[in-house]
Amino acid sequence: MDLSGQLALTVLMGVFLVGVAVLLTRVEDWRSYTPLASGGVYGDETGHAVQHKPSGITRWLTTVDHKDIGMLYGAYAIIAFVWGGLAVLIMRTELADPAATLIEAGFYNGLLTSHGITMLFLFGTPIIAAFSNYFVPLLIGADDMAFPRINAIAFWLLPPGALLIWAGFLIPGMAPSQTSWTMYTPLSIEQTHAATDLMLLGLHLTGVSATMGAINFIATIFTERGDDVNWANLDIFSWTILTQSGLILFAFPLLGSALIMLLLDRNFGTTFFTVDGGSPILWQHLFWFFGHPEVYILVLPPMGIVSYVLPKFSGRKLFGFKFVVYSTLAIGVLSFGVWAHHMFSTGIDPRVRASFMAVSMAIAIPSAVKTFNWITTMWNGKIRLTTPMLFCIGFVSNFIIGGVTGVFLAAIPIDLVLHDTYYVVGHFHYIVMGAIAFAGFAGLYYWYPIFTGKMYQRTLAKAHFWLWMVGTNLTFLAMLLLGYEGMPRRYATYTFDAGIVNLDVITALHQVATLGAFLIAFGTIVWVFNFVQSWYEGPDVGEDPWGLEDSTLYGREFEWHRNRLRTAVADGGEEDVVTDGGNEE
Amino acid sequence: MAPDVFDRETMLDLSVNVIPLFIILFFIVLFAAVAPFGYSLVDTTIQMALLVIPFIGLAILTYFSGKAIAEAEAKMEERGDLAHAENDTPGAHAGESTPDAPDAPDATEGDAESAVETRSTSDQD
Repeated sequence: MDLSGQLALTVLMGVFLVGVAVLLTRVEDWRSYTPLASGGVYGDETGHAVQHKPSGITRWLTTVDHKDIGMLYGAYAIIAFVWGGLAVLIMRTELADPAATLIEAGFYNGLLTSHGITMLFLFGTPIIAAFSNYFVPLLIGADDMAFPRINAIAFWLLPPGALLIWAGFLIPGMAPSQTSWTMYTPLSIEQTHAATDLMLLGLHLTGVSATMGAINFIATIFTERGDDVNWANLDIFSWTILTQSGLILFAFPLLGSALIMLLLDRNFGTTFFTVDGGSPILWQHLFWFFGHPEVYILVLPPMGIVSYVLPKFSGRKLFGFKFVVYSTLAIGVLSFGVWAHHMFSTGIDPRVRASFMAVSMAIAIPSAVKTFNWITTMWNGKIRLTTPMLFCIGFVSNFIIGGVTGVFLAAIPIDLVLHDTYYVVGHFHYIVMGAIAFAGFAGLYYWYPIFTGKMYQRTLAKAHFWLWMVGTNLTFLAMLLLGYEGMPRRYATYTFDAGIVNLDVITALHQVATLGAFLIAFGTIVWVFNFVQSWYEGPDVGEDPWGLEDSTLYGREFEWHRNRLRTAVADGGEEDVVTDGGNEE
Repeated sequence: MAPDVFDRETMLDLSVNVIPLFIILFFIVLFAAVAPFGYSLVDTTIQMALLVIPFIGLAILTYFSGKAIAEAEAKMEERGDLAHAENDTPGAHAGESTPDAPDAPDATEGDAESAVETRSTSDQD
């Protein structure tokens, strides 16, 4: 096709897309809720008018309200969670027997890469941003974020980022990227897949998004607090978001720089990370200087959620609140001093390696302090085993297993034996799934009444928890055992010398892990059904769904919720309120 | 700023970060004294810098965060507020019952257990 034909097609496609956008804006029933532009908790609003948000999809495309953006982040993260979950289900099914019976190894590598990147960058970070966007302004008594429009831009960078990251699966004829989430060189330079370039560009977009969000949260927490909120009574969730934002500010720009260098190596023949140039180890240093703080970027806010929610159902305040705050800050600093514990087996100087071991041991202390605080908060409390509480307790339990297995790995001699085995996979999945996802779902259940105005179904919620708890422990305990047996990571097929280990044992453990993965998947289906159905048909909640109003544990966000209910405006009215005193003629 | 901003209680709170600081210090001394791989200008400098920089960073952050929180508490006490660091509901008074009881959600659908009487005693650290 000649150039003018291509131009004509492009213009035609542009006109078509504009037409689609116009059509969508005319669809009125997008289940919009709360016509209030924002809900000031303490009457900080200066206007007396009821300002309606636009109806239909226009509202969601143009919103700068922190609560709406929180909902957008949540919806986006859940879609990504489903994508990453389906990818891993295919992988686990493949691993149920030693040979490549379901998919070929290259596709397995693509799924592995997509699963890692999706769960960390497209689910983990956004689901945290969903909570922080919705609740941090409410918890600190702010009208909105410091930079509402930047907040919206930060979100809208994510969908194109996801499309670029998943491009290898979405574009026919293009093989997915097979670099794994760590993108280790020289493989990631030499791999010719165009999907890898698109994935790097998409990752860069998500990094820019995270950095913009982080700047926004730092500015918001420092400058937008209500008069009665100071550093001494700032809630624990906002503390963890502040620390996480600080980590993002220092970590993500580095990832962006490293990604650009990798793109240059791939496309322009530079030698930043080639064997004869800057060396592949340089990539690992740069990547992990971002990558390890990223682990804490993902875990600190969930720790904040647990620290916030767990006391509500223990009938008492968080034990040692300031211990938790200071240990959060300690993790923030020390997380930048442990990156090479991911690189113990790369042959770096043993003296340098020893320092990383020492700081890795030291960073275990703040995490352990938090764990003891959670346990002590429950000790002698009046525990109510609601679903959010079950998820919090599950978090603590799984976090202990994940944490202790991590302490083993911090020791160089043990790491040299277990490096690149399933033990490592089991360890970090106990944290990312057993802890981070559990805390995320504790938050989703606890705040469900606020963001939907409804209550979910208790039995289904508890079924979800137990399916996840059993599934998680089956899957990842099996992985720890697989690691002890020497099963390497990132392999689509496996076979062993019978003199070293019995292949039947390995296969059986893989099958247990696969069974657990399907239990988790089933639990997720139960959760989706419960949330969607309850959103449509659940009972309306009152001002105090958790029975905390008469205690000191009610929480500012539920005060806001109560305020919203008491000042609710009946919808359906056509009349606009005149604020300028009317026009007297 | 109150002269005794780092009073005994604040120091006790900060002790949580003194432990990792002590662990790092222990290894600094250990690696300075015991060097099975010998000393070399570049590698030993990097080795020590990797311990000293996080140590200094953590000490600085602990100092300033402790100072900010202690000063905020002092101001609250001056105003006569209850200095609850973990008071996440400023203005809410423990035990104050609300006249209009909340709607009890449907027991078969809602997850809220019957509102048990929660403790209003605070666990001061």
